[in-house]
Amino acid sequence: MLSDRVRRNLASEFRGSILAKLGVVLVLLVVFVAIFAPFVAPHDPTTQSLDNAERPPLGIVQTEQRTTSEMVDGEVQTVTETVTIRPDAAHPLGTDGLGRDMLSRVIYGARTSLIVGVLGTVLAATVGVPVGLIAGYYRGRIDDGLMRFADVSLAFPSLVLAIALIGLWGRASVAVPDPFVAAGFAQEMPETFVLPGTVIVVVGVVNWVWFARIARGEALSLRDQEYVTAARALGADDSRIIAGHVLPNAITPIIVLGTVQVAAIILLESSLSFLGFSGTTLSWGFDISQGRDYVSSGQWWIAGMPGLAIMVAVIGINLIGDWLRDALDPGIEGEGGA
Amino acid sequence: MPDVSDTPAPELDDDVLVAVRDLSTRFFTEEGQVNAVENASFEVRDNEVLGIVGESGSGKSVTALSLIDLVDSPGEITGGEVWYRDAELAAEFAGSDAVVGDHVDLQRVPATVRRSLRGSSFSMIFQDPMSSLNPSVTVGEQIAEAVEVQRRAKGNPRRTRSRTQGYGLGRLLVDTLVPTRSYADEESRARAVELLEQVGIPDPADRADEYPHQFSGGMLQRAMIAQALAGEPDVLIADEPTTALDVTIQAQILDILRELQESGETSVVMITHDLGVIARMCDRVGVMYAGEIVERGRLADVFDDPVHPYTRGLLGSVPDLEDPSTRLQPIEGNVPSLLDREMPEGCYFADRCPKAMEDCRQPVPEYDTGTASDEHAVQCVLAEREYDPAVALDGRDETGDEVVPSE
Repeated sequence: MLSDRVRRNLASEFRGSILAKLGVVLVLLVVFVAIFAPFVAPHDPTTQSLDNAERPPLGIVQTEQRTTSEMVDGEVQTVTETVTIRPDAAHPLGTDGLGRDMLSRVIYGARTSLIVGVLGTVLAATVGVPVGLIAGYYRGRIDDGLMRFADVSLAFPSLVLAIALIGLWGRASVAVPDPFVAAGFAQEMPETFVLPGTVIVVVGVVNWVWFARIARGEALSLRDQEYVTAARALGADDSRIIAGHVLPNAITPIIVLGTVQVAAIILLESSLSFLGFSGTTLSWGFDISQGRDYVSSGQWWIAGMPGLAIMVAVIGINLIGDWLRDALDPGIEGEGGA
Repeated sequence: MPDVSDTPAPELDDDVLVAVRDLSTRFFTEEGQVNAVENASFEVRDNEVLGIVGESGSGKSVTALSLIDLVDSPGEITGGEVWYRDAELAAEFAGSDAVVGDHVDLQRVPATVRRSLRGSSFSMIFQDPMSSLNPSVTVGEQIAEAVEVQRRAKGNPRRTRSRTQGYGLGRLLVDTLVPTRSYADEESRARAVELLEQVGIPDPADRADEYPHQFSGGMLQRAMIAQALAGEPDVLIADEPTTALDVTIQAQILDILRELQESGETSVVMITHDLGVIARMCDRVGVMYAGEIVERGRLADVFDDPVHPYTRGLLGSVPDLEDPSTRLQPIEGNVPSLLDREMPEGCYFADRCPKAMEDCRQPVPEYDTGTASDEHAVQCVLAEREYDPAVALDGRDETGDEVVPSE
């Protein structure tokens, strides 16, 4: 499917770019962790243990002032004491307010983010690319209608639109059995994995416009290529021309946009989870919102660790996107951030 | 615009494969209406090469595209008839006024029928071979695809052909999602290799698996011809097929076209601005100027005995190898803009014409020159009378030179 020239460009661009290598390493790390979460995670991410709550990450000793009050002889006496909370080697990234292991939660959160990011992008592309190709190929009224609609969608803040759609459709979540646990490995891990169905659909619906715009622009220029006219002169019909001659030549910028969109959708999903709209409780955004209350009291890692994970994933994917863009299509600029 | 329904049915000889009558194609742009082709009439006969010659912007290519019904928005064929000889098609539309004998007026049949004729009846070669093949598909695959489209179409009865051509939605999805699945089957691929061999590509079986960027310009043009031949067309329209090629390759490509036309049942419509190509290739020639065919006839009649001053001008601007001392006589001025509101009444060439007369401001009909072959038609008042300086157009002195207007 990839021509030799494309492969050569990819390889030479990769060799010359440290950032591209970094991006590949980061993304491979996230993908590996997400797929093999039951083996990588040290604990069940949902097991609570109040005795272990609020433990700091390794290497950090947390001291805090605890004020207790008791009634002595009818008077309230307040006793202030300094408590030292030490890290536990079993919880390298610490634990959250309910004593759940942060490392395990971050690892499982990668699953949610990646699945939503990839499926959401695929959905957005599935909707947007055909719409854009049709608009660009037929031009005229069809183009005007479709693209004005796209412009209106674009003018609407994506987060607000997403929240409105979730409000409209409800939070449908599907519990998918974890294939590894079902196969008999890692029995202590959760048996099912929650797929936030509505969120996937919503992020797809919100982001299709970017694909439509790119595909339309490509179709507009490709439709006037002589090989398209030649194909028509030879008797090929429109569907064949769009699928056989326009799409293959428009695919490069679409792929580049796709990588950038995965990152954008991961961010959008985290925002939705943070606001409580995700439908799953194993998500980076959800953990950040849980940890928000603890930031002011000193337990920064509860929100910080998932935040760091988002950063790693998004930076990695964006670096790969830059690499693909530079290698495949130097003409296009980054576009489509959420 | 001529009223189609009132024009009498034309008398067409049996050897006329395609007869175009009063064809008009307009472009409705933001700047205004552009009359790219105006009342063009010509005939393509069996096994002949018709040349259409003219300057850039004279409407040659649009004429070709109109013939195959490929004029794209904002352009539109606004009038005229394209009579095409096809007994099968004539039987299908028998009884309607779109049929005269075996000839069918393609402008009066549904668009789907016109589309079904592309490739199998009309086929086209384009000017720039570099951009006329899809860069992301192998050459062999593209030719095989053209073969396959026609093979599938011919496997179906005529009536359903337009609907079954191409492929259905399910097929489209499978082909798109499964990249290893090819649209064309082995038989079509074998035929593609045959076609490549026919147009003189060495090692056709190996070259078929290469991409267009691995071909040279001349080879790409051959591949284009092979692709155009996939449907065994009756009429091969060649739109400036040699313009983008260097001279030696030009000669080879012209030889291939000539061979095709001599050996088979293919008639060729050759669009070019190159008078040398016309002289070498064509049996008949039509000279286009500003969207009109101003003079047409047998090659010998038009080239040896041109009537229209524009034709004379064109021929006068070709260097004479035997007598290089004579100065070339270029035609003064440029092709007028084809915007409808800027077009003058009468002859469009009058402003540049050294022999323009008062009558040239009136609409000029097409005259028969009355030569023996009686196929030499010209749209100029000079066909009927001699140039008379006494009634020369305003603003010219008696030598025919334009007087610079004092402004």
